[in-house]
Amino acid sequence: MQEFKSFEIKKEEIVPLAKKMKENGHRLVMIHGFVDKEGKHVVNYQYEVGNCIESYTVKGEDTLPSISEIYDVAASWPEEELYELMGVKFEGLNMRGRLFLPDTMLEGQGHILVTPLDELRKKTLKEGE
Amino acid sequence: MGYTIPIGPYHPSLEEPIHAKLYTEGEVIKDAEVFIGYNHRGIEKLATERNFIQTLTLVERVCGICSHSHPFAYAMAIENIAQMEVPKRGQYIRVIMAELERLHSHYLWIGLACHLIGYDSLFMYVWDARERIMDILEEISGNRVNYGMVIIGGSRRDIDDEKRKKILNMLDDLIEPHNRMKDIFLNDKTAALRTKGVGVLPKDVAERMGTIGPHARASGVNVDVRKDAPYSCYDEFDFNVPVLNEGDVWARVVVRVLEIEESIKIIKQALENLPEGPINLGNKLPKVPAGEFTARHEAPRGQVVYYVVTDGGQTNYRISIHVPTFKTAPTVPYMLKNNTIADAGLIIASIDPCFSCLDR
Repeated sequence: MQEFKSFEIKKEEIVPLAKKMKENGHRLVMIHGFVDKEGKHVVNYQYEVGNCIESYTVKGEDTLPSISEIYDVAASWPEEELYELMGVKFEGLNMRGRLFLPDTMLEGQGHILVTPLDELRKKTLKEGE
Repeated sequence: MGYTIPIGPYHPSLEEPIHAKLYTEGEVIKDAEVFIGYNHRGIEKLATERNFIQTLTLVERVCGICSHSHPFAYAMAIENIAQMEVPKRGQYIRVIMAELERLHSHYLWIGLACHLIGYDSLFMYVWDARERIMDILEEISGNRVNYGMVIIGGSRRDIDDEKRKKILNMLDDLIEPHNRMKDIFLNDKTAALRTKGVGVLPKDVAERMGTIGPHARASGVNVDVRKDAPYSCYDEFDFNVPVLNEGDVWARVVVRVLEIEESIKIIKQALENLPEGPINLGNKLPKVPAGEFTARHEAPRGQVVYYVVTDGGQTNYRISIHVPTFKTAPTVPYMLKNNTIADAGLIIASIDPCFSCLDR
């Protein structure tokens, strides 16, 4: 059966961990993120280790090092997505512009995971006028 | 002299909206970029306002083709957090639906590939075979897509003996058209000339980019979550994971043709050994404690990943959905390089993209 293990790590451990995982042949399944109830960013680096997902969580950081040098597009696309959805910045990430959201929702105007739905609806209505 | 040629986001050669910029010299593509996001519907955000049963209906609409895969993976995540054990018969029915979905999805894409190489008679032949599966899906669930077969804790509808026989008969009837189609792709010059050596993705690049699903398996990467991290009742069935090493469009077609045969094997085993007993734990709103889980399901295009966070309330605190096209679309620029403009549509389509899934 599928298993899930969660660990908390510090920002400084992200790159060494990614290098170790890559050397050991483990796939980066995804980088997920959300904002906790205190308004802090939570970012999970999830690796496939056998039948288990090992989830390494970094809490409360607005800027993180990119691991796109190590995991290529498997990391750069999720990192771009996390910037768009919740405003986490990744140092060393070559941003291509927009990934999912309209151009008008970039640069702090969107970040839909941290913007209440009623505000997003007002914004959409205003743009449609 | 070089030209920049835009394709899409809406273009006759594209299945769904994506924008590609091709940087060309003469007829040859020297570099390319792809841009997505034309179907973004904010489904992850909407899911934070839905309870667990409402979310099943919502996530089923992430994709029209793999509309069983999404609620399957979501339900597994919730069931793991709530430590619910799905009855065996419910697990078998989920797997039967998942594999029927793989059959119709693969036939759909193989048909499109035939259409894109100009082999329209084969396109119609393949889609005619696909219709038999769609009819059975409608027979089981009442719908051709968005089957509504998954509930938290099991399956919504049973497969009775009459339906079981109908599915087995349909699978037997499928053998002849399937073998004919397989023979054409393995031996016909027309199909080979348009697909062999086109849009090659070597194994080392596929591994570096972390691609998944039949797209990766056509490039020699043996990755399939049904074998790597078995879930539901997949460990009870005997099946193989076809892997080819060519990495071109031809291999992507053939790997799907072979996967169809393995899926038929799984469905037959499941139907012949369908356990007695309940199909679910009741259709009540489950009590889900605070927790988190990442569930994975091998959808037709590859691994669907659902990361779900709950806080003890009746709604999801966060669901993060990642679909196969998120891992296959980034490989498109690499595959386009040094191919001709005429093959661009076929190469983009060869990942069997689902941009509705991808954008969510």
